[in-house]
Amino acid sequence: MVEMVNRPYASAFEKFAAGNPDILCLSADLTSSCEIDGFRDRHPDQFVSLGMAEQNMMSFAGGLGLAGFRPFIHTFGVFMYRRPYDQLMASIAYPRRKVRLMGFLPGVTTPGGMTHQSIEDISVMRSIPNMTILETGDATEVESICEAADTIDGPVWCRVLRGSVPRLFDTPIRVGEMRELADGDDILVVTSGICTEEALRARSALKKAGLSIRHLHLHTIKPFDHGALLDHIGSVRHGVITLENHVTEGGVGSLVAETMADAGVGKRLVRLGLRDTYAHGGSRAYLMRYYGLDALALVRGIEDLVGQSFGIGEDDLDAARVDAVHSLVKAEAL
Amino acid sequence: MTLRNDPSADPVILAHRIRKHALEMTSRGKSSHIGSVLSMAEILAVLYARILNVDPGAPDDPERDRVILSKGHGGAGIYAVLAERGFFETEKLKDHYQNGSIFSGHVSHKGVPGVDLSTGSLGHGLGVATGMALAAKRAHQDWRAFVVMSDGECDEGSVWEAAMFAGHHRLSNLIAVIDYNKIQSLAPVAETLALEPFADKWRAFGWTVHEVDGHDTAALEGALKTLPDDENRPTVVIAHTTKGKGVSFMENTVLWHYRTAQGDELEAARAELAACDPEVRDA
Repeated sequence: MVEMVNRPYASAFEKFAAGNPDILCLSADLTSSCEIDGFRDRHPDQFVSLGMAEQNMMSFAGGLGLAGFRPFIHTFGVFMYRRPYDQLMASIAYPRRKVRLMGFLPGVTTPGGMTHQSIEDISVMRSIPNMTILETGDATEVESICEAADTIDGPVWCRVLRGSVPRLFDTPIRVGEMRELADGDDILVVTSGICTEEALRARSALKKAGLSIRHLHLHTIKPFDHGALLDHIGSVRHGVITLENHVTEGGVGSLVAETMADAGVGKRLVRLGLRDTYAHGGSRAYLMRYYGLDALALVRGIEDLVGQSFGIGEDDLDAARVDAVHSLVKAEAL
Repeated sequence: MTLRNDPSADPVILAHRIRKHALEMTSRGKSSHIGSVLSMAEILAVLYARILNVDPGAPDDPERDRVILSKGHGGAGIYAVLAERGFFETEKLKDHYQNGSIFSGHVSHKGVPGVDLSTGSLGHGLGVATGMALAAKRAHQDWRAFVVMSDGECDEGSVWEAAMFAGHHRLSNLIAVIDYNKIQSLAPVAETLALEPFADKWRAFGWTVHEVDGHDTAALEGALKTLPDDENRPTVVIAHTTKGKGVSFMENTVLWHYRTAQGDELEAARAELAACDPEVRDA
């Protein structure tokens, strides 16, 4: 049974930041939605409300960085880069400010539709010089992302999970590394974020089907240890499959493809994710099924990779984690 | 669009029906933002019953007035008023916020007659309306561009960029209506980023300003029916409203921006709306 942790970011951020005068907590009118309402109430001297004004928030954070602070910016991921992109580039990334960009509701973790789903942020951030990219896939990673991000001499883009989050790992994020979750030799599965939990759901069914899976979980997307990935690719027989809560262009799938191409690796690669499409509004489970981001989609992708059907259906997969019934206070739900 | 003897052409009745639909839609779908819909029910009702030149039989008529609900989180309200005015069947409102439905929580134009623009990221509507207004002027066409905005989204710099542009270009065919309910998503506007002196800001940007009680349908109609009333200035109607209007325990509370009514709360809200139903009261 997977342990579920309620609001891991709320307590982790407060523990990390409280009493550290160089850390300032910034919010753009989504304070409780980003689980920093308790911090605001208990540490008002370290909290700045910018209002719903992200462009100013970016430049303001750049100014704080210039003056020696390490601001942690909190809003939904989409609102942190789509509107204030120029400010992000000129005020934060180019001058390499130590600004930590805590982006909530990555990809289809929100039912809010196109305007609320950050589906191409990793692609954008990968192309920004000086940017570091971290993504959380479980409660332990959420709990450790503040410390991890704050080790970086420059801006850090963080995909943060909120609400009820499963605990999959025992060790904190170590920037630049990757987690080896299985060491098989048929197929290499590379996942990040919420897709790692999906891959774990398929693990026993794939084993029963006789497949030996090697599984990597990426919490650090940039910088990236290409050599380590190539070693893993060299250890598998059939090829590589990636699964990500993001468009297939520019994200983890592209990262793996570029690594293979640069090294002249001739093995097959299947990239799963959003395929050149926006996502609807809808529940997370519905969207993951509809767009092929879930455990079953991974199984079908593996079947494609090896050219063989294993007859694995929904009933053969481990049960999907069932979220606790949403609080009626819907700040958690959107 | 004038439909004689149609109750939905009475703004008071229409506003009440919007509230009833929105309550059921957000409860069934467990979606948020009922407070934001309740505050603008009269604004939508007056626009669609008395002001707009739109035709449910020809939702894409090139001569129609354009409407953008910039506060896209109030999608339930726009879907409800469009259904009541015959753009599609009210029965379809039951699909709101269901997986696979065209009626998403934030306004979507995809497959929804009468909606020109998907919204939900705030601070976009006024700029798009500005583009449409200039296009109409360039084409020497008489239609107008209306945009219904929230107070909170006026935090965004893009709103003021559009406001400055519209004033500069004297876009008299541009009409903004602001649902000034004084509460944004998680805190009162005045505590988040103060807007006052709000009317003075718009005047300084070259706009004509009307301030009205946003729940007084006659006052709203009076402010909107003769527009544009200055050939050289865009117009903003600042409608002073109450968030959650019509359900006592939702009124003026931050909580009901996101909370959805279920169980006893749903029953209580239904009862309160039923008690002031103008179609029953006046019968």
